[in-house]
Amino acid sequence: MSASFAITNARLIDPASDHDAPGGVLVEDGLIAQVGDDIDLTGADEVIDAGGKVLAPALIDLRCAKEAALTPDGETLPSLAASAAAGGFGSIVLAPNASAPLDKADGFAGMSRGFAHYPVRIYSAAGATRALAGTEMSELGLMARGGAVYAGHGDHTISDSKTLRRVMSYASQFDLWLALRPADPALSQGTVATESDWSSRFGLPAEPTISERIAIDRDASIAALTGGKLMIDRVSTREGLSAIRQARKRDLEIAATCAIAHMTLNEVDAGALDSAFRIDPPLRLEDDRRALVEAVADGEIDAIVSDHRPTPFDDKGEPFALAIAGTLSLETLLGALLGLVHEGELTLLQALRPLTCGPADLLGLPQGRLRAGAPADLVLIDGDKPWVCDPAEFRSPRGNSAWSRRRFSGQVTQTFVDGRRIHNYNA
Amino acid sequence: MTRAAFSYEFPHRHLISVADLNPVDISLIFERAEHWRAVNKTTRRSSDALQGMTVLNLFFEASTRTQGSFEMAAKRLGADVVNFAIAQSSAKKGESLSDTARNLAAMQPDILVVRHGATGAPSFLADRTDLSVVNAGDGMHQHPTQGLLDVFTMNRHWGSVGGRRVLIVGDILHSRVARSNIGLLSMLGADIRVCAPPTLLPADIDQWGVEVFTDLDEAISDCDAVMALRQQKERMAGGFVPSGREFFHLFGLSHERIARAKPDVLVMHPGPMNRGTEIHSQLADDPKHSVIMEQVENGVAVRMAILELIGTNLRKEDAA
Repeated sequence: MSASFAITNARLIDPASDHDAPGGVLVEDGLIAQVGDDIDLTGADEVIDAGGKVLAPALIDLRCAKEAALTPDGETLPSLAASAAAGGFGSIVLAPNASAPLDKADGFAGMSRGFAHYPVRIYSAAGATRALAGTEMSELGLMARGGAVYAGHGDHTISDSKTLRRVMSYASQFDLWLALRPADPALSQGTVATESDWSSRFGLPAEPTISERIAIDRDASIAALTGGKLMIDRVSTREGLSAIRQARKRDLEIAATCAIAHMTLNEVDAGALDSAFRIDPPLRLEDDRRALVEAVADGEIDAIVSDHRPTPFDDKGEPFALAIAGTLSLETLLGALLGLVHEGELTLLQALRPLTCGPADLLGLPQGRLRAGAPADLVLIDGDKPWVCDPAEFRSPRGNSAWSRRRFSGQVTQTFVDGRRIHNYNA
Repeated sequence: MTRAAFSYEFPHRHLISVADLNPVDISLIFERAEHWRAVNKTTRRSSDALQGMTVLNLFFEASTRTQGSFEMAAKRLGADVVNFAIAQSSAKKGESLSDTARNLAAMQPDILVVRHGATGAPSFLADRTDLSVVNAGDGMHQHPTQGLLDVFTMNRHWGSVGGRRVLIVGDILHSRVARSNIGLLSMLGADIRVCAPPTLLPADIDQWGVEVFTDLDEAISDCDAVMALRQQKERMAGGFVPSGREFFHLFGLSHERIARAKPDVLVMHPGPMNRGTEIHSQLADDPKHSVIMEQVENGVAVRMAILELIGTNLRKEDAA
C-alpha cells in the first residue's frame, strides 16, 4: 500500500466531531493528513473511490477473549486478529477471564510487545485480583507499566466489599479503570437466565434484574469512598441503567459498557433452549433490550463491547443450563448493530460513537476519530450489503455464534490500521 | 367419543413436555392406559406390542420408582430394556451430552427414556439423535408421565377433571411434577390452586392461571383433590423453610387439615414420601382418601400407553 493515499466519495461518519457528511480523507505516513469534502489529492499516490460507502474510524473493542495457547482447534491471537479485522475493528482489548486471568506481572510487558506482530492493535487488560479470586490484589502497578489498559475481573465481581475498596483505591494511583460485572454474587451465583415468566416455566435457575442494580449501587458507593474509576462491565437491564443514572448524579468517574448481545437479542431468542444463547450476563427481557438501545442513543453507554468468547463445540454440546456461556461476536457485531440503524432505533453516529471515540476516550487512545493528525485507523462499510451469518466462514476456528443464520444488512469492506489495509472483503 | 369417530391418530414420536399434547392426545393415552390397567390385573400381562424394539433407560439422576415403572412397562410390552445409569456427580464429566447421545444412538435403540438434572436435556437429545425420547424428568422443568398418571388417577375417580378443584401444596418452585400437573390440569379445565411459603413459589406464578395461597386452611377449602409434593430435606433446614416440623405444622397434610376439603377428597403424592414433613403418616395410609398406591399402579399403565403409542408410530415410520 502506498505511503500516501486518499479515500474519496465517502459518507464520513466521525462521532467525535458529530460529523456525518460526504467527503474523504487523505492519509500520509499512517496518519490522517486531511479530512473533509475538499481534500487535496495532488500528493496522493493512490485514490480509492468509496462509491458512497460509509467511512468511519476503525472500531475499538474493550472486551474480547481468545483461548489458552495450545488449545486444540482453539482461537489463537492470529485468528482473533483476523476476526477483528474482518469485523471492522482496528483495536481490541483482551479482558481477563477465568481461564486467562491476566493477573501476573511476569511477562506482561513482553506479551504487550508481542502484540505488535499483529495487524490489529491488541491491548491487554489486567486481572485485578490474583486468579480473579477476589481476595488478594494482583500487581496492578507493574502490569500498568507493562501496558495494561484497564483492570478487570472477568465474569464475577469482587464480592468482599473491603477487598473491593482496597483494590479500587489502589488502582486509582495508576489512573486505571476498574471494570466490574454488575451482579450481586449471591443473587446471581449458579443462575443461567433472567427471572421471568419464561425462565420460571422452564424451571431454569434465574437471577432477578435487581441483582444488577444492587451491585451498581454498591460499586458506585465504593467508588465515591475511594475516588476510584469504576467501569460498569456490561450493563444489561433497565434496573442497572437506572442505578447508573442515580450514581452519575454524584461527582463520580463512572463509565458503562454494554455487550452487543444484550442490545440485539432477548430471552425469547433462547426460547427453544438453544445453547448458543447461553450468555453471561444472561439474555434479558425485550423491555431491557429497548432500554439499553435508548441508553446508547442518549450517549449513556461509553462503549459497546463484543464480549467475543470462543468455546469449543463440546462445551456447547450440553443442554442450555449446562453449556459454557459465551458467543463469538467480532465478525457479526457491526452487522447486528446496523440492524438497529436500519430499524431506525439508532442513527449511525449514535451507533458508532461507543465503538470509536467512546472507548478511545476512556483509555486515552489517539485513534477512534477522523481528525488530521490522528492515526489512520479506518473502516469502510457498505451499509446496505445483505449477507447471512454462516459460522463456517468465520476466521475463528470456533463456531459458537448466537447470530448463526441471521440475515444482516451492512458489511465491512475494508479495514485500515496506521494507514495499512488489514482487511479487504473484495480481495 | 371413540378414536374412529374423529379418525385422529396419536401424532407424536416424543414426549418432552405436557405442552406438546392436546386434550385428544391425552384421551388417547388414557384410553390405552385403561386397557393396560385391566391387563395388568390379570396374570397374562405380556404383550408383543413392542416386540423387537429396544427401550433405553438413561438416568442421569438416581431414581428407583420411575425407572422401575418404565422398565416394567416396557418389558410388559415385549421390548428389550437396557438401563444406563450415568452418575452426574461432577459438573465436568469426560464426555459431553451430545457425544453420549451420538454413541447411544449408534447402538440403535428405539426409544430413549431420559431423566436429567438440566432443563431441556431430553429435547436436546431428541434434536441430536433420531431416537424417540420420553422425558422422565428434566431439572425443574417437566415430568410429563407423572402429570399424566396423576390426571389419569383423578379421571378414574371423577370421569373428568374439568371443573374440579385441585390443590398442589409444597415446594412448587423446584417441582417438575407441579409444572407438568399445572399444564395438564389447566388444559383440561380444572380449577387449580397452589399453596406454599413464598420462598418455594416460582417467580411470576401469578401468570400461570392458578390461584396462589400461603394459608393451607384457606387453600384447601372445598377441594376435590389435594396433592402434596415431596420436600427435599436439604431445603427444610433454614434455607427455604426454617425446619421440617415448622413446614409440617403450616403446610403438612393431615386428617385435621383436610376436614375443610370436600368429604371425599383425594389425597395424592408423587412419591417418595417424607412422612411427617409433607404428609401425616395416618393420612397417607388411609384408604378412604389416599390414592397414592393407585398412582403408582396407574403409573405403569400410563407409561405402557405412551410407549405403545410412540412404538406404533415408529413401526409406521419403519414401514413407510
